[in-house]
Amino acid sequence: MDRIPVEPRVDWRETAEAHGFRFHTIDDERYWDESLYYRFTLDQIENDLEDPTAEIEQLCFQVVERALSDESVLKRLGIPEAFWDYVADSWRNQERNLYGRMDFAYDGTAPAKLFEYNADTPTSLYESGVFQWVWLEQAIERGLIPEGSDQFNSLHEALTQAWANMGIDGTLHLACCKDTEEDEGTVEYMADCARQGGLETRLIYIEDIGINTDGRFTDLQENTIDHLFKLYPWEWLMADDFGRHIPKSGVRFVEPGWKAILSNKGLLPLLWEMFEGHPNLLPAYFDGDPAAAALDGDFVRKPLFSREGANVEFFQDGERTISVEGDYGAEGHIVQALHPLPDFGGNYPMIGSWLVASQPCGICIREDASLVTGDNARFVPHIISE
Amino acid sequence: MKRSKSVKLVAMGTGLLLVAACEEAKVDTALFESVKQCTGLGFSEQECAANYQQAQQTHVAAAPKYTSQADCEADFGAEKCEIAPQRTTTGGSVFMPLMAGYLMGSMLSGGGRGQPLYRGAGSTNFRTADNKAVGNTIGRTQVAQSATKTPAAKTRTTSRGGFGKNARSPMRRSFGG
Repeated sequence: MDRIPVEPRVDWRETAEAHGFRFHTIDDERYWDESLYYRFTLDQIENDLEDPTAEIEQLCFQVVERALSDESVLKRLGIPEAFWDYVADSWRNQERNLYGRMDFAYDGTAPAKLFEYNADTPTSLYESGVFQWVWLEQAIERGLIPEGSDQFNSLHEALTQAWANMGIDGTLHLACCKDTEEDEGTVEYMADCARQGGLETRLIYIEDIGINTDGRFTDLQENTIDHLFKLYPWEWLMADDFGRHIPKSGVRFVEPGWKAILSNKGLLPLLWEMFEGHPNLLPAYFDGDPAAAALDGDFVRKPLFSREGANVEFFQDGERTISVEGDYGAEGHIVQALHPLPDFGGNYPMIGSWLVASQPCGICIREDASLVTGDNARFVPHIISE
Repeated sequence: MKRSKSVKLVAMGTGLLLVAACEEAKVDTALFESVKQCTGLGFSEQECAANYQQAQQTHVAAAPKYTSQADCEADFGAEKCEIAPQRTTTGGSVFMPLMAGYLMGSMLSGGGRGQPLYRGAGSTNFRTADNKAVGNTIGRTQVAQSATKTPAAKTRTTSRGGFGKNARSPMRRSFGG
């Protein structure tokens, strides 16, 4: 695994715009960064990232099974009691999941360590599956990178296929919040994949969803919503005013309700409790668990529902060294052994490993100049080359 | 190879939250304003009447619904709306457009049911209850396959905005990740 500077394509901005990639630059700061790439060997990709991703997904399913047979686990995860049956039914009815992204710290040598699993509303999808792919094709064509380079990235094909296999008959609604350009881009891209998978799609803002006299959710044209892809976290859906209507709404959600168990930082201590010592897991505990003393004062404290690094705190020798602001945390915290991201000349890459229909199908790298990968981290492409 | 063989995008970058119409297969059907018009163009009395009745039944369930007559007339034109049999949760009236015609289902499009058609205010084009345009040709014509699907039942939405309050919390560019 190497970090290699490369000449950006002279027309990369125009290419981005032409491909509908509108958030390549956010708040005047570069988000898409092709002035460098990471190079992996095929062994590194397959043995160190792809296989562990597939394996951890299976471990996660065991965590779901356990949570559904033990209410105290659902309680620790902060899932409201009113949704316990709903979540359990979504699992027992085998409601299909679409995608997720596991974030790993990996330096090319030591086993990749799972930082967290974004199992419900992972972002960076479009730039991973499409724009990163386009970069590789053009960079080879223009001789910027070695001929014969490959990329771990069948995300687009996998998504299209997964939508076709989702068993959806009728219209798929896709929803995100208003005023979030990045999320709109993601939802638009997802709709594109779904259409290529043979579905009919309609887009709606989450704020515009209505409830009708039959307790069904509706779009702005008064069509009932039967299948809903929502780029909006389960814990928020459950907490919102309309949340109480969900169980009887007849809506098939993507991701399904059982993803609420996995998209929760509480997954990390549960994994550790059940599979302690697994080479790809870091020791983790619920905050306040006396067993956390094993971390010996070196740990990261994360809220159960934090996103984009918000409210994360670093402790070394028991002293707080880094603290990120945010408004998460009311629902509880977990602590995870401190495992710094690898240092590539003052840059800290985090590797996102994508799953579609629970199969690993690609990676993306977000690089930050700090140990916490926050929302100003840059997206950088990768290649596979020996 | 560990990457997609091709990455094809149908509609990205063409503008936000509008689903671009793809090239869709057309199917043979026929549109009429009345049973008389239907028989007049050579269809059997029985077939014309059965499709009309099916369309009327679907009309009650699937017609767009409004809680005010003015809103309904704004979309469909003056005196082009009627009171629907449904009621709002608080007992108020519900309005829907008059059925302006019907689309033949059986025989022509593989066993589908007759379904209602509407005309928007000031428009000569027919639209289905799911707001799909099907043109203005009376008699035999071709329409997009999706337009012949049974339209969704529409009851009145009683409130909106019950989702998304968390999205307004500050300090967040995006809630993914």
